[in-house]
Amino acid sequence: MRLILIGFGNLGRGLGRALVEKARFLRASYGLAPRVVAAVDEYGAAVDEKGLKLERLLRAAERANTVAAYPVRGEKKKSALEVIDEVEADVVFELTPTNIKTGNPGLTHIRKAMLAGRHVITSNKGPLVVAFRELDGLAKRQGVEFRYSASVGGAVPVVGLAKKLLAGNEVHAIRGVLNGTTNYILTRMSKEGAPFEVVLREAQEMGIAEKDPTLDVDGIDTACKITILANAILDMDVKLKDVRAVGIRRIRPEAIRLAQEAGYMIKLVGVARRGSLEVGPRLVPAGHPLAVGGTLNAVTFELDLAREVTITGFGAGPRETSSALLGDLIDIHRTLGG
Amino acid sequence: MRAQIEMELEDVPGQLVKVLEPISSFGGNILNVLHERERKTPLGRVPVRVVFEVDERVKLNRIIGALRDMGVRITRVGEKEGAVRSTVLLIGHIIHTDIRDTIDRLNELHGVRISDLSLAMGAIGQESAARATITADDEARARAALSRLEKIAKGKSLLMITSLEGT
Repeated sequence: MRLILIGFGNLGRGLGRALVEKARFLRASYGLAPRVVAAVDEYGAAVDEKGLKLERLLRAAERANTVAAYPVRGEKKKSALEVIDEVEADVVFELTPTNIKTGNPGLTHIRKAMLAGRHVITSNKGPLVVAFRELDGLAKRQGVEFRYSASVGGAVPVVGLAKKLLAGNEVHAIRGVLNGTTNYILTRMSKEGAPFEVVLREAQEMGIAEKDPTLDVDGIDTACKITILANAILDMDVKLKDVRAVGIRRIRPEAIRLAQEAGYMIKLVGVARRGSLEVGPRLVPAGHPLAVGGTLNAVTFELDLAREVTITGFGAGPRETSSALLGDLIDIHRTLGG
Repeated sequence: MRAQIEMELEDVPGQLVKVLEPISSFGGNILNVLHERERKTPLGRVPVRVVFEVDERVKLNRIIGALRDMGVRITRVGEKEGAVRSTVLLIGHIIHTDIRDTIDRLNELHGVRISDLSLAMGAIGQESAARATITADDEARARAALSRLEKIAKGKSLLMITSLEGT
C-alpha cells in the first residue's frame, strides 16, 4: 500500500516510528506492506515512488525540522497539494495541526485527496468539526474510505467500538472524559488542594498543557470530540458551535473538597445525545467508570441492548495515537479485501 | 432516593428470596417487604411490594432491568416522598448575590427543599463554593428544581455543577 503522510510533527513521526517497528508484524499478520511514497510538512516534501527510507526520513526531520532535508529526494517549498496531485498513492494520512475555525489546511488536503481517489486517514479534528457531513458524503461519492479514529480518544478506540463492535445497538447517549490535560489538572488539584493556576503552570512545564491552554481548559477540545462523536456515531449533522461548552477555569480547590466530602469527583465531561450536546464540569461519583485519574480518557456508551459500555485508556501521545492510525490503515486494508 | 417496586410472583417456594437478591446486589438497601399471599391475583400470583433506598437512579434502573430479565412481572415502580436527592455545586460570589434569595426561590417550589448546604469561602475578592443537597418528592420535581436553580445561577453568574446522573 502506498502512503502519503501530510504533516510530520509529533503524530507523523510517531506513525513513522510505528511503521518501522511494525513492518514485519504487518506483513506477517495482515499481508500488509505499507510504503511511504511521500511525506510533506509546512517547509517542503520528500518524494520517492519506490518508498522513502523511514529511518532516514525521521533522522532528517529531527535534524533539520523538515522532511525537505531528506537526502536527494527532499525538496523545499513543495506543497501538500502538489504532492497529492503528482504522486500516485492509495492512502493519504492528514496529520497537520487542528484549526477549529476554518479546518485548514487539513480540510483542503482531505478534499483534494478524496477527489484524487485516495483513501484518507486523519487525526485532525479541524476538518471534522467544520465539515463532517461534507467529507463523509464526498468519501462515499468518490468511493474512498475515510477514517478518523485518532481524532477522538487517542489510543482509545471510541469510534471503532461504537461503529463496529457495538453495531447491533442503538446508542442513546455518549458521555466522556475526553481531554487528558484538564483531567490531569483536576486530578492534581484534588490530590494537592492546589489552585488551578498553579497546577496549570506545572502541567505546562511538564508538556502536558500547551503554552496557550485555551482549547483544553475552556472545554473546546472536548467540544470538538463531542461534535465528531455526535456526527459519526449518533448520525447527527452538527458543528462545533452546536455544543454548549464550559471549561474548568472557575473550579477551585474548595469546590473539589466539597464534592469529595459528598463522595464525588469533579470531571470535565462531554455529553452527546440527540437534542443535547454539552461540555462542562460534572460531579462524578467516586468509583464510577468515568472517574478516571491523571491524563486518562474514558467514554461510556448508553445502549439499548448492552445497556452501558465504558472504555478507558490513553488519550494522547504520539506512540499511543499511532495505535489508532495504524488500526485505521489495517481496517482499510481489510475493507478492500486485503 | 427511596424507591418502591410492586410486582407479582409465582406462588412457589423461593420466589421472594430470588427477587430480593438483585435489589441488594445492585446496591439497594431494603427497608420493607410486603408479601400479600391473601390477595392473590386471578392468575394465582402473589403481589409483593418492596421499599428500598438506592443512591443513584442508574442503580434503580439496573435493579428493574435485572428483575425483568429474570422474568418478574413488575406492576408499578414508584418513588417515595422526599425521595430524590440531588447534589449540586455552585461556584461564584454566592454570598454577595444573596444566598438567602437563592434558597427561598427553590423552597417556593412544591415538594422541593434544600436539605443541606455547605459553604467554603474564598479569600477576599475571590469566588466561593457551595454544595447543596436538593430533596424533591419525585424525579419531575427534582428536574424542575434543577432547572430553576440553573436559571438563578445564570442570572447571578454562578457556575452550577450537577451530578453526572442528572444529565
